[in-house]
Amino acid sequence: MTQFPILTLLILLPLLSAICLIPLKKREESAKYVALGLTLVELALACWTWSAAGGHPASGAPPGFFLFEDFAWIDTLGIRFTLGMDGISLLMVIMTVLLTLICLLVSWRTIHERTALHYMLLLVMESSILGVFLSLDLFLFYLFWEAMIVPMFFLIGIWGHGRNLYSAVKFFVFTLSGSLLMLLAIIGIYLIHGRQSGIYTFNLTALIGTSLDPAVGLWLYAAFLLGFAIKFPLVPLHTWLPDAHTDAPTAGSIDLAGLLLKTGAYGLLRFGYPLFPEASRTLTPLLIGMAVCGILYASWIAFAQKDMKRLVAYSSVGHMGFVALGIAAWTPLALSGAVMQMVSHGVTTSALFALVGMLAARTKTLEISAYGGLWSKVPVLSCFFLLFAMASAGLPGLNNFVGEFLILLGSYKVQQTATILAFLGLIMALVYTVRLVQELLFQEERRPLALTDATSLEILTLAILALSVLFIGLHPGPLLDMLALPVNILTGGTP
Amino acid sequence: MTLADIRIALPLLILAIGALLTLICGAVTRKQTIATTIAVLAAVGAGLAAMTAPAVLVAPSLGLSASGLTRLFIVCFALMSAAVLVLSSGYNVYRDIRGEEYPATILFATFGMVALACATNLLIIFLGLEAMTFGFYILVAIDREQRVSSEAGLKYLLLGAVSAAFLAFGIALLYCVAGTLGISEVMQRTLAGTPNPVALAGWACLLIGIAFKLSLVPAHLWTPDVYEAAPAPVVAFLSGASKAAAVLLLLLLLPQAGDLAILRVPLFALALFSMVVGNLAALRQNRVRRMLAYSSIAQMGYVALALLSHKGGGFQAAAFYAIAYGIMSLAAFGAIGILERNGCGANLDDYRGRGFSHPLAAGVLAIALFSLAGIPPTIGFTGKFLIFASAIRAGEIALAILGILTAAVSVYYYLRVVTALYLQRSEHEERERLGVFETAVLGLSSVLIILLGLFPSPLLDFLRTQLP
Repeated sequence: MTQFPILTLLILLPLLSAICLIPLKKREESAKYVALGLTLVELALACWTWSAAGGHPASGAPPGFFLFEDFAWIDTLGIRFTLGMDGISLLMVIMTVLLTLICLLVSWRTIHERTALHYMLLLVMESSILGVFLSLDLFLFYLFWEAMIVPMFFLIGIWGHGRNLYSAVKFFVFTLSGSLLMLLAIIGIYLIHGRQSGIYTFNLTALIGTSLDPAVGLWLYAAFLLGFAIKFPLVPLHTWLPDAHTDAPTAGSIDLAGLLLKTGAYGLLRFGYPLFPEASRTLTPLLIGMAVCGILYASWIAFAQKDMKRLVAYSSVGHMGFVALGIAAWTPLALSGAVMQMVSHGVTTSALFALVGMLAARTKTLEISAYGGLWSKVPVLSCFFLLFAMASAGLPGLNNFVGEFLILLGSYKVQQTATILAFLGLIMALVYTVRLVQELLFQEERRPLALTDATSLEILTLAILALSVLFIGLHPGPLLDMLALPVNILTGGTP
Repeated sequence: MTLADIRIALPLLILAIGALLTLICGAVTRKQTIATTIAVLAAVGAGLAAMTAPAVLVAPSLGLSASGLTRLFIVCFALMSAAVLVLSSGYNVYRDIRGEEYPATILFATFGMVALACATNLLIIFLGLEAMTFGFYILVAIDREQRVSSEAGLKYLLLGAVSAAFLAFGIALLYCVAGTLGISEVMQRTLAGTPNPVALAGWACLLIGIAFKLSLVPAHLWTPDVYEAAPAPVVAFLSGASKAAAVLLLLLLLPQAGDLAILRVPLFALALFSMVVGNLAALRQNRVRRMLAYSSIAQMGYVALALLSHKGGGFQAAAFYAIAYGIMSLAAFGAIGILERNGCGANLDDYRGRGFSHPLAAGVLAIALFSLAGIPPTIGFTGKFLIFASAIRAGEIALAILGILTAAVSVYYYLRVVTALYLQRSEHEERERLGVFETAVLGLSSVLIILLGLFPSPLLDFLRTQLP
């Protein structure tokens, strides 16, 4: 290990930034700028890791990983501080850092009390999510996986609205119960591997080779799947999500939809499938069933929503269903599509939540029926709204299209019925999105609302997201190149 | 007496002399601070004496020994009693508990724990355990002005007396079978081979007595009342140190036996009922201390699960968790004491909004609660991880799954307190009043919770050398 431990730094920097904010509790303005400055540094670091992509892998790194760090930690139990970055992790990391920046910007003018604490929690959240995306040690992964729900709990609970206490507790208990069973499964595979090889380790690369009794493997995988499916969330385990999203503050919703849900999908493709190849094949029909149900059910329910934020929340469930379908198909094409969809959904949904938050901050209402005629009143906001709504509906040339198209293409070969049903879901998504756009932007004004158009800060926030939408939509090549190698390795091809 | 005898008995001597000095000091001056200072110095001195004692000493003429494990626990007991004394100095002013007998009794109770830790025969164990419990009889009821306090004290005394009787009878029965009181001989002769009915009866009595000390179901009935009525630092001490002492007692006994198959069923039942009853009963509590009392029942259920899974390294896990639980109790009840002193009532609703008006105490309480709930990166998580790992390794899969499900349930009631502290609002905006030493103790314990959670290696490696 001679290289600079950039990945460790990526995880530690937000944590240190959060600690820096403690003494600035009383001076909120400076706290904001410190948080923003350090997040920009973090963004620069994350972008710098891109330059390492395709480079020579570090010694001891598993194939496909171009950055790899490994430190001794709890040797007695075979736990090491192992981090690694491949193309998939890279995209996730950049998305995480970017969306955290968006969260900071979105909260800039909307959070008025306990501002420093709010920023601290966002940074702690960022740190633990980065940890999830970079860990190659199951114990370490689990540590970050559980640690991230604590800041989210406080974000929803302290700055949320509506029934935020209920939602915060529900979110916490729901996600934790799923992951606790996963903990047992992690211990289980650790012990089985230890008994087989005599080496007790939590290292992912070592554990992947474990041969499991089919029944045992099935139970262990089921526990993993439960933990991931709750985070995902897959129908019928999604009930915490609409509540949590709706009652969270805008930054909390962005963190939830943009990042937290992705950890479930990421966990499934990084840990679930590779660790239990046989069991995951056996349970693929279940995953596909949940994915398709999610797509159709969520789209249907979204259509009936009266609350904008809830509508966007349900659309998340639908979009994540596509990701699940892509993973379940487990072909290189579908898997690339799933990762692309994760990134795209992160960007688009965050943008929609930001917009909904901006509207709600002006009018104090989230009811769709209160709005109307925004196109003439707030043209800039409306333009952005239209762009992101269309992106979310999967308009070609915009980001979601890439992921969804690849998923459908990749999974049609292996799962025809499911793909066709998912395609129907796509149409339904178009329907509810168009309805939302029509009711908000183009219908006649229904209630006199005091609306002002976007401020420069808001334009900046939305412009960053719009650029990402267009970049992914029009020029996905570099990203897909990045994914080609890790996806091939995951699906068993040669690098 | 040889020099080795004195070295080994040094912590005991320091504690006893310190307690006597504290009492004498009361005859000279009524100043509370002087008595407390002497007591803290004695406790810290005992800890240091144990820390510097050479490893593996045996003093056969005294019936004492000092293995590494023993010395580790002695240091824990001594430091915990020092911390409790520091916390009490502020809290007792609020509860109007005066007199030098309070610090002296704390030292006597610590003396009992240390004696138990050093014991090489069952008689010393019994004496140590009862000396400790005797101290707690007094401490629990020390606030004579309040009726709940006397009621809890009486309940504790009555049940405690019964459990002491069970312990004594159990030891007598084991003595009948083994013909000696030495721990290793007793363990080897009473548990090996086909079980002797008298030995079985002896073990049953002994387990009942220990279950009382650990407040395992069905011997848990005293716990909620005592936790609710006793002074908060005393509860911290009772919950942290006395239960650690009882766990240590089992850790001194059980590894000496070759085969523990006989004890599997009773331990299984104790673990099962404690985890289930403790966690479910805690859900329904609206008073924070009662809730934590039931939670402590459940937590000790996890320790019982660890002891049951001794084949998978459960003894190490139990020792780790006993220490972890001591630190968590100290943090939780220390913080509760500070909050109560600052005008917080006993109900959950009284804790509303304290997170922002009393940031330090509430922060420490929240960390302790997250740790008790087993959320990483805390010592509670690492401890639970070790316990479940050893349970699965030993093949106790059903109990492990049940344990993890009850742990999921427990998250809800711990969160209720955190929710009240941080997510609910209330009008009061009074300032937090805190002494320097109290801040130091609370800060140190919460730092330890996080630090030992992230870097458990030193403690784990040490325990691995001491226990099978």
